[in-house]
Amino acid sequence: MTIPLLICDDSNMARKQVTKSLPDNWDVDITYATNGVEGLEAIREGKGEMVFLDLTMPEMDGYEVLQHIKKEGHKSVIIVISADIQPEARERVVGDGALDFIKKPINKAKLEEVLRKYGLL
Amino acid sequence: MKEIQQYTEDQRDCLQEIVNVAMGQAGDSLARLLEVFVTLSVPKIKTLRPNEVRDALQSFVDAEFVSAIRQSFHDSQGQKGLRGEALVVFGDSSFRELAELLAYDDEELSEVLEQELLLDIANVLNGACLNGIAEQLEEELIYSPPSILGQRVPVEKLFQHDQMKWEMALSVEINYKLENRSFNSDLLLLLPDTAIDYLARKLDEFLE
Repeated sequence: MTIPLLICDDSNMARKQVTKSLPDNWDVDITYATNGVEGLEAIREGKGEMVFLDLTMPEMDGYEVLQHIKKEGHKSVIIVISADIQPEARERVVGDGALDFIKKPINKAKLEEVLRKYGLL
Repeated sequence: MKEIQQYTEDQRDCLQEIVNVAMGQAGDSLARLLEVFVTLSVPKIKTLRPNEVRDALQSFVDAEFVSAIRQSFHDSQGQKGLRGEALVVFGDSSFRELAELLAYDDEELSEVLEQELLLDIANVLNGACLNGIAEQLEEELIYSPPSILGQRVPVEKLFQHDQMKWEMALSVEINYKLENRSFNSDLLLLLPDTAIDYLARKLDEFLE
């Protein structure tokens, strides 16, 4: 079944890097968002069953997006992909409902490893 | 000579993301050193003329008195390659907090001790951030020893714009805040005009 996948990052290059790192033949329907506000909107519209979320973004950052998702009760599976590599950043996002955290820059191997770890592939 | 406005959308975006990754590495180094959580925001990239640097500093360092460290860097190609200046600027209230976080106890903060603190923190921020940028661009940077530009002085006293030997510089502004504290530090990277052109070519290589 096709998975609605949301890629939320303010950088076009980062969005492309994530897209290029997706597993081959993975059946997803990709929506892009360039900040947290757009991302949350897409999740409300059901376009983010799975979400790859950046943290440092204008308008609304990733931490706030996680808070909203929790408050509104969306069942999205969220993987944070961020350059904010402080160990505490990871703890915080996992505490706020993200499944896992991947350090930027992303690549195919890193993403696949995480997806396999949780049986998402 | 190239201004950032003349960078293509892709080049601008690429630089922004490279800086973002480097900022994250520097933020992590600072967090580990001080054992606190560092709040990052989106880096700001723009072009500045020498007479605009002071206003730019004033606008992002929200303090009457500041202290600043300056360090220049270049790659093996000298004048033609990637080179510039890194300025780390601290707001006035940052010293007390830094001293506290680094367990300098109640020692009276002497001028010398403050200088030591400044240089240490600037080294961590500069080193991690510039190395992060250089690594992604497959460059190797050579650094000059850092020097103190001013200590608890008004921003306008930091330096005179006629000291700057370029007409246009690319400025990359990165802000580091410590959660629940007033510590505020900015890292400003200034790349002179020739380096702007060079960087554009490196970004194209990176994008290929």
